[in-house]
Amino acid sequence: MAWKPGGNVQTALFLIAAVAIVAFGAARSFVSMWEMDTIVPAPGFEKHMLSEWFEGIKDTPADTPVYIQEGSEPGGTVFVMGGTHPNEPASSLTAVLFLERAKVHKGRLIIVPFANIMAFTHNSPQEAHPQRISFTLPDGSLRSFRYGSRATNPIYQWPDPDVYIHPQSGQELAGSERSNLNRAHPGTPDGALTQRLAYALRQLVMAEKVDLAFDLHEASPEYPVVNAIVAHEKSMELAAMVAMELEISDIPIRLEPSPKNLRGLTHREWGDYTDTMPILMETGNPSQGRLRGRTDEDLVLTGADKYYAWAADLGLLFIPYETDQPIGLRIARHTSALMSFFDSLAFLDPSKEVVVSGIPAFGELAENGLGPYLSPLD
Amino acid sequence: MIMTFIYRGIVLFVLAFVVRCMFREKDFWKQVTAALVILPLILRVLLIK
Repeated sequence: MAWKPGGNVQTALFLIAAVAIVAFGAARSFVSMWEMDTIVPAPGFEKHMLSEWFEGIKDTPADTPVYIQEGSEPGGTVFVMGGTHPNEPASSLTAVLFLERAKVHKGRLIIVPFANIMAFTHNSPQEAHPQRISFTLPDGSLRSFRYGSRATNPIYQWPDPDVYIHPQSGQELAGSERSNLNRAHPGTPDGALTQRLAYALRQLVMAEKVDLAFDLHEASPEYPVVNAIVAHEKSMELAAMVAMELEISDIPIRLEPSPKNLRGLTHREWGDYTDTMPILMETGNPSQGRLRGRTDEDLVLTGADKYYAWAADLGLLFIPYETDQPIGLRIARHTSALMSFFDSLAFLDPSKEVVVSGIPAFGELAENGLGPYLSPLD
Repeated sequence: MIMTFIYRGIVLFVLAFVVRCMFREKDFWKQVTAALVILPLILRVLLIK
């Protein structure tokens, strides 16, 4: 026979107190993700806000920092954008690495490390992702960064429609894609916040006459477009040069053309709507994949997962995977590709050369991880 | 913005009724069930989650 204790006003008050305590703890945990990650820009970077290029996002949660460093010699302008999807950490962390290490000698480097800053303030529901990932620096201190969601936080933009219609093309997608920055390009000045954010990014690309624009990503190891460069027709020649260069350096990479009928993505819309050459790059992140087992900070940092090792044995993955896929390796892939693009840009047009130093080599990052190359906090 | 106000109003309305039911309930375990319902409603009405 089940135990059936009686309920009364006293038990209700007790439960209300218990709910208040749990709600307070949960709220503190959720609100902790609203705090910006601390970054230490290298000397020479000037901080701006994206709303300087489009007033429509001023004083909204979509407004995100933009860092610009100009070299002593004129050259091209390169734009590196990380954090379109904050659950793909090698993306924003590659941008952070450039922000903290780069010395621009020729041309101009524009960095947006947290593109969809509204998606950094929460985790995707039911994914068991950690709120933060941390790196140990040589002095023993820790630097931590948020692991956010693919979508804009619904506390800033809701409700999603049943069907999201991409404004420029009429393409129909699942309603949740309205909160996905990489389905919002080229953006609209009067749409939802994510669409206005995309519009602001386009204004930046156009106003700053960006020659080469990067959107950094990660993808599940079982997704065919991974360890890949996705290039618009305008960028294909340059991307092919880089792909060959990387292959020669024993960094295998796929080269994919930007599909003309897949709309709302940077590699398509920046190419069609601006004068820049857009490039999107993907690395393999097991913590995003559907085959993963235990999901925690360790999985994000090491990519070690026995189920992915099993899937690799069965030939189901699109990346070389033995036992792990550390974040240092994933950042090294992005970093090496970016540096190779900078070098190759001068072959296409010597007046657009961009020379950047201070960035660790592929082997160093893959071997040592990110921690040794981050700046300590004061 | 108007949608958010309406949403919060609805959540507050439901929250008030769940609390009212909880205080009138004579079965402790049903009170516990009401407490579990109240928790996300509080976080939603405060626009925390």
